Amino acid sequence: MGHVRVHILGMGIVSPLGIGISETKDALKNNLTAIRPISLFSTSKNRPLPVGEVQGFIQDESIPRTHAFARIASAQAMADYREPPDAIVLGVTTGGMLTTEPLLRRKEQDYSLFRYHSPSSVGEDLASRYRVIGPVICVSTACSSGAVAIKIAVEMLRSGLARRVLAGGADSLCRLTYYGFNSLQLIDPEGARPLDKDRLGMNVAEGAAMLLLAADEPRHAVAEILGAGLSCDAYHPTAPHPEGKGALAAMQAALLDAGVNPHDIGYISLHGTGTLDNDLSEARAIKAIFKDKMPLLSSVKGAFGHSLAAAGAIEAVVSAISISDRLIPANTGCRICDPGLMLAPVMQPKEARISAVLSNSFGFGGNNASVVIGTPGKFSPSAHDIKRSLKILSSSCITGAGTTKKTMEALFNGRSCQGLSSDVEISENLSPAQIRRLKRLPRLALSLAVEAQRAGQRPDKPSAVFFGTGWGALSETFNFLKRLEETEEQYPSPTDFVGSVHNASAGQIAMMFNSTAANVTTTGGDYSFEQALMTAGLLAEDNGKTFIVLGADEFHQGLSRLLDESVLRGQCPSDGGGALCLTRGGGDRGLNIKLAFFENAENNPKVISSVVQGLGGVERINGDYGVILAGIPGALKEKAADQLKTFLSLTGFKGPIIDYRRQIGEFASASAVAAVMAVKFLERGEIPGALFGGNDFLLYKKGALVVGFGSFVTAMELRET
Amino acid sequence: MEKLINELKVKLLEILNLVDIRPEDIGEDDQLVGGDLGIDSIDILEMVIMIDKDYGVLIDNRTVGEEVLQSLRTLARYIYENSTRL
Repeated sequence: MGHVRVHILGMGIVSPLGIGISETKDALKNNLTAIRPISLFSTSKNRPLPVGEVQGFIQDESIPRTHAFARIASAQAMADYREPPDAIVLGVTTGGMLTTEPLLRRKEQDYSLFRYHSPSSVGEDLASRYRVIGPVICVSTACSSGAVAIKIAVEMLRSGLARRVLAGGADSLCRLTYYGFNSLQLIDPEGARPLDKDRLGMNVAEGAAMLLLAADEPRHAVAEILGAGLSCDAYHPTAPHPEGKGALAAMQAALLDAGVNPHDIGYISLHGTGTLDNDLSEARAIKAIFKDKMPLLSSVKGAFGHSLAAAGAIEAVVSAISISDRLIPANTGCRICDPGLMLAPVMQPKEARISAVLSNSFGFGGNNASVVIGTPGKFSPSAHDIKRSLKILSSSCITGAGTTKKTMEALFNGRSCQGLSSDVEISENLSPAQIRRLKRLPRLALSLAVEAQRAGQRPDKPSAVFFGTGWGALSETFNFLKRLEETEEQYPSPTDFVGSVHNASAGQIAMMFNSTAANVTTTGGDYSFEQALMTAGLLAEDNGKTFIVLGADEFHQGLSRLLDESVLRGQCPSDGGGALCLTRGGGDRGLNIKLAFFENAENNPKVISSVVQGLGGVERINGDYGVILAGIPGALKEKAADQLKTFLSLTGFKGPIIDYRRQIGEFASASAVAAVMAVKFLERGEIPGALFGGNDFLLYKKGALVVGFGSFVTAMELRET
Repeated sequence: MEKLINELKVKLLEILNLVDIRPEDIGEDDQLVGGDLGIDSIDILEMVIMIDKDYGVLIDNRTVGEEVLQSLRTLARYIYENSTRL
């Protein structure tokens, strides 16, 4: 049992209300709103809708706007600290989309122009600025991303994986979200008025907030993150559960995790978007917990707008200000509160001394996160389990050769699995009604989940979902932008918008299995599956329940080669993924998987000796592991091959080395398939010689290592215990 | 009216991407939302856009939407009464 306190050492914020903590405080004290008609880009024939747009900052043209926001907020958070943080966890939904949109319209074909497209490039940019050598995790769970990022950072600190983590969220306005939310008729043309009886919706906004979090560093702490809780509605892709079931579960989990009671909470920073459904379901959930003893509460989205992935982090900063400055922000925009909500929000900013704040962030896919922030040292830290490794119950994969059985048959006979399985093949486990609105990525993900669950011996369905995808739903994103352009911004597709969010697939899996526990989507190019596995290792509960970790990517004719240079360098278009049903606790022996190593290879000349050490040293690597599956992404072939060479010379490893992308092709989540390959090798106890150009190799109970090389170095270990 | 209803059936199936249902399987008075077709709020929004685009008829608030989108017949009537293109 650990008792770690998580302190906020530094905070930074860029929002429509101002740049920096002091401007933000002033705006909140004066109950200002930043909601104005959009001016960032032209809205052609349409009346410009109100948004929360960051003002008074000069855009550095060499990086996208989201990256610029994240840099500014990070510089503020890190101002008093020179030592690099051990890790970065950042919530981002659209990354460089604002820059990508005109590039696609101009039909640019130079892939180097798209290098900042990925949401994960925002955190990677920060990692290179601060020379962070630990992991960079990019969380993309729509509007809860920023809060989920904080939860993951908290668990990193509690587990001892890091001593300091830079965590937060960032998103800039872009056409995708501006028109997307409008296509869902969720925009209030008068400006958001959360909880108001006449409210009509939200306003999309932008910004970034970063928090430097540290384990047990009370000196100079602004506030303490007492805990956080996650849940999933498993109800609908966009609409919240009408009774707020998921919101309730997240808040309860957060209170439990923080070790505080409802009466300890002095203020609730509501998700409070201003949509009819959100405000009602959130109000119901809050009623169920706090009954007639309501804390002070308000939504700041009438002031800031809804900055999507940044919102959870911005509101964590606001909550910390509430603690440190005794400032309770008003529910800006609300004139007469909806009597149906039975809430009495704070109508004017007020001063109040409070010890703990509950901050809510809910998103598409029914993705809920609540964070509890308190006065440093006021509450006893609750005890946290030291998490053990994860037991593999079953697995599945899809490659160009087909689903698991066909893929393994091909691999064991030395045939290539590169290529694309047909839509029929990848949908064969799924009903027509289930997939009628789904394009390739969610089909791949659902199909993997169904097969992995069926392959297991257990009747229970996964309770939590951890999904890694390098590039997300490309078909939906492409189609949305195409129709937007073709109809001169008049008729964008709500279906494509809803499907375009990175966590849409994980939300579909949750709905299929009724998985109401944590539901996290991570995205980070070639290391997305590793990020998901690391997140599962940090978040999955030690309760014997099944959960699923999967990675998948689709090949898209118009986008994949522009975004992923490895695809461009590949022999033929390939895609697919892999899934593992896992459990923790229960005590049975069996085949286990663990993300044993994850470091940034940039600015880190010792990364290979570090991975050798991280895996327990030369003797242990040779003693415990019989095979290495090496991830050599096509875009970084030389660098990755060099890293592998160094690894082999340091360890003197003599077993088979499988450069798995040669068999399964170039796609970001190929390592998820490699993990499944490793499972199958260990189950059979041998490696087919056809895979590495030798004789069949007996493993004699030794395990397998799946090592990712390139811009990061990662290692997943799989072995019998 | 009948022609419009039949036209709407075809468009509806295209939007819903239901491959195993034929236009004649949908009744004019069948409940649209929450009925057997499994239509939800996202499909409704997609239909609202189609109605705006193809007939120039705007359904932009929930009260009107709920009234108009009860069945194909109520929808067709609303379009018929409000469209200048028919």
